[in-house]
Amino acid sequence: MKALIFEGSGFEYFKIWIVNVLLTILTLGLYHPWAKVRNNRYFYANSTLEGRNFEYHATGKQLFIGYLIAMALFISYVIINQISPSGSLILIAVLFLAVPWLILRSMIFNMRMTSFSNVHFDFTGKLGRAYINFFAYPLALYIGLVLIGTAISIAIPLGGVAAVFLGVLLAAGMIAFLLFSFAFIKKKNTEYFIDHSRYGQGEFKTDVHIKKFMLITLKTLGFALLVTLIAAIIVGLGVYVTVGVDSIMALKGAEQNPELMAEKMRALMPIISLSYLGMIAASIFIMAYSMTQHRTYVYANTRLDDKVTFASTLKAVPLAWVLITNFIAIICTLGFAFPWARVRTARLMLENTLVNAQNGFDDYLTQKQNETSSLGEQIGDAFDVDVGVGF
Amino acid sequence: MINGKWYAKGSSAQSDASLDITGDSFTLTVKERIKYTALLHTLNVSSRLGNVTRKIILEDGSVFSTQDNDAVDLAFKKQPQGKKIIHTLESKMSWVLVALIITLISGFSFFKWGIPWTSKKIAHALPHASNQLIASNTLDFFDKYIFDKSQISAEQMQKIRMHFHSQVAPLGASHDEIKYTLHFRLWKDANLSIPNAFALPSGDIILTDRFVQLCETQEEMDAVLLHEMGHIVHRHTLETVIESTFITVTVMMIAGDSNGLADMGVGLGSLLVSSSYSRGHEAEADRYAFEQMLLAKMDPIAFSNIMNRMSSYIQVPSVSKREQEKESQGDVLDYISSHPSTKQRVEIARQYSECFHKGLNSCEIIKPIHSTLDSKN
Repeated sequence: MKALIFEGSGFEYFKIWIVNVLLTILTLGLYHPWAKVRNNRYFYANSTLEGRNFEYHATGKQLFIGYLIAMALFISYVIINQISPSGSLILIAVLFLAVPWLILRSMIFNMRMTSFSNVHFDFTGKLGRAYINFFAYPLALYIGLVLIGTAISIAIPLGGVAAVFLGVLLAAGMIAFLLFSFAFIKKKNTEYFIDHSRYGQGEFKTDVHIKKFMLITLKTLGFALLVTLIAAIIVGLGVYVTVGVDSIMALKGAEQNPELMAEKMRALMPIISLSYLGMIAASIFIMAYSMTQHRTYVYANTRLDDKVTFASTLKAVPLAWVLITNFIAIICTLGFAFPWARVRTARLMLENTLVNAQNGFDDYLTQKQNETSSLGEQIGDAFDVDVGVGF
Repeated sequence: MINGKWYAKGSSAQSDASLDITGDSFTLTVKERIKYTALLHTLNVSSRLGNVTRKIILEDGSVFSTQDNDAVDLAFKKQPQGKKIIHTLESKMSWVLVALIITLISGFSFFKWGIPWTSKKIAHALPHASNQLIASNTLDFFDKYIFDKSQISAEQMQKIRMHFHSQVAPLGASHDEIKYTLHFRLWKDANLSIPNAFALPSGDIILTDRFVQLCETQEEMDAVLLHEMGHIVHRHTLETVIESTFITVTVMMIAGDSNGLADMGVGLGSLLVSSSYSRGHEAEADRYAFEQMLLAKMDPIAFSNIMNRMSSYIQVPSVSKREQEKESQGDVLDYISSHPSTKQRVEIARQYSECFHKGLNSCEIIKPIHSTLDSKN
């Protein structure tokens, strides 16, 4: 097993980034596609494995038309959203309908524009399957929830022990249904993204199970409880040590007096902001835990042609640490620490991605691919549609 | 000699290779055997980006890649493929500093002046019909979810309308495409009747019952009506729509390639920016009201009287915490407030009132600053 290496540096990327930002501002946004290409080229080309590197092949010219159309759509969306409530409802419905298509087009474009060691990736997913995965399943989940919810709201007012019993049973059913559906959708999505990915003539294959995804969700829930409890204790201790319980009690007495109330509130401001920060940190931790668990499981069960295997050694604590410190640095520098943050995240991710290729990478060949339009990818980008497995 | 790797077209197999350049031709040696000899201009060299692996594509589609960027730059210096403007910007420290400074200045100016100025231009270039378009359904929506029927007598409504159309509305006669209509509504929140006045871009002005009751003189009501007319004349709603569009699109471009966490900071930033625009609109509407009052020989202090009465009415029964915090001078929360603080507005009204007593038709205003106000009060 060999880990990927990230060879870029924060300072070098900062210089590329600032020039991108400057040119984007000076051209009133028109340079954006070229900036995106330079960003992607930098991160792809600096990701290496055994002296071979990734490469991003799209050109600014290729993205430009798609970018203009995506911007026009996005601007109309923003304007309609503000002036017509009914119009924005229709737009949201259209967007939901378009999501599977956007995901598929983005996957195809991004995979084809990526190569490793001179051989291109590809994506062979079909549109019908995309609609089942990203539209039908979430819709079914929603309908299921509404049905159980309605059943509960009918059962509870009936009164009596039987109704309470039925209510509890239905609530338990709802939790089980949620747990199962999330795991089911997660499995289907992971399979869709990985099983249709190609590297040259090589085919990726994943073998994941609903049971394991359910277990990860349960573990995450347990972890979330623990983290929330710890965060609550820390904030509670903070309040006790700094302002004391009296101030909180005094707050209750001051309810009738607005000026006193405002004064008390101001004294509490630092501790309130601190507990907000604590909440953000806790949620980052929980997110990092869930993500690393999924990553480890999916990587371990993914292979390329039975010749190449993968593994993830990413752990929740280092990931959460990098994300939290990045967040603080970006806020404190009004965004100018962004390049360093991005490089740090990329380095952590790559160095915890392991690849084992018994026969090396010498016998892959780029397969014939048709010309691909960037339109779907650009629209997906503008509307922030999540694409890919997410790690 | 430049060392690197060679790949056959579309193949992942790597072989050690080296490129020798003499004059305007080159020799590519793969595994110690000469494979290609040709002219330099047949090669396609990728543009330089930091120190990432450089790719040179040969005529048959095979690829020579190397880490030796400097050697490639040197070799292709005189070739048309060698142009590298962007890389020069990225690699010269002085250029990076210049870029940083220009970015900071233009970013600041863009938000501070660029967006408001452009939005104003666009808003005023659009036909009045666009005002009617964005106002359509708004009153129906409020009637359905927020307002109740007014309890003011039909007689009093008639009186207020008569006065408005004969005395106040003509002051804005230069914008005769706007047809003003007064509406009376009851607005209740937790059993408390709320004093307020709103303007819709179409020319509809809504007065709440409590506001009408709180007005002690005719001039007070006229001052607020003129303020609302100021919003309409200056097309503030349309400007807000355009400004938020600019902000959202800019935010999308900034945050597009970041993660969800940085988005929170960006969200806070755009909140600060849009509240600052909103405060600008309020100040502009105030100014409109004051100037019209001077021309119509009304004392602008009436505006400050009604503002004070409204804000103390809201404060004492402690309707919302935010309202109270807003009033505290120099508070951080002032920056996210959509209105200038009442103290500031009252101070400007006082200065206009002085001009009024001197019998002036226009007035130079010294902008009140937080700290000086603090020491005065």
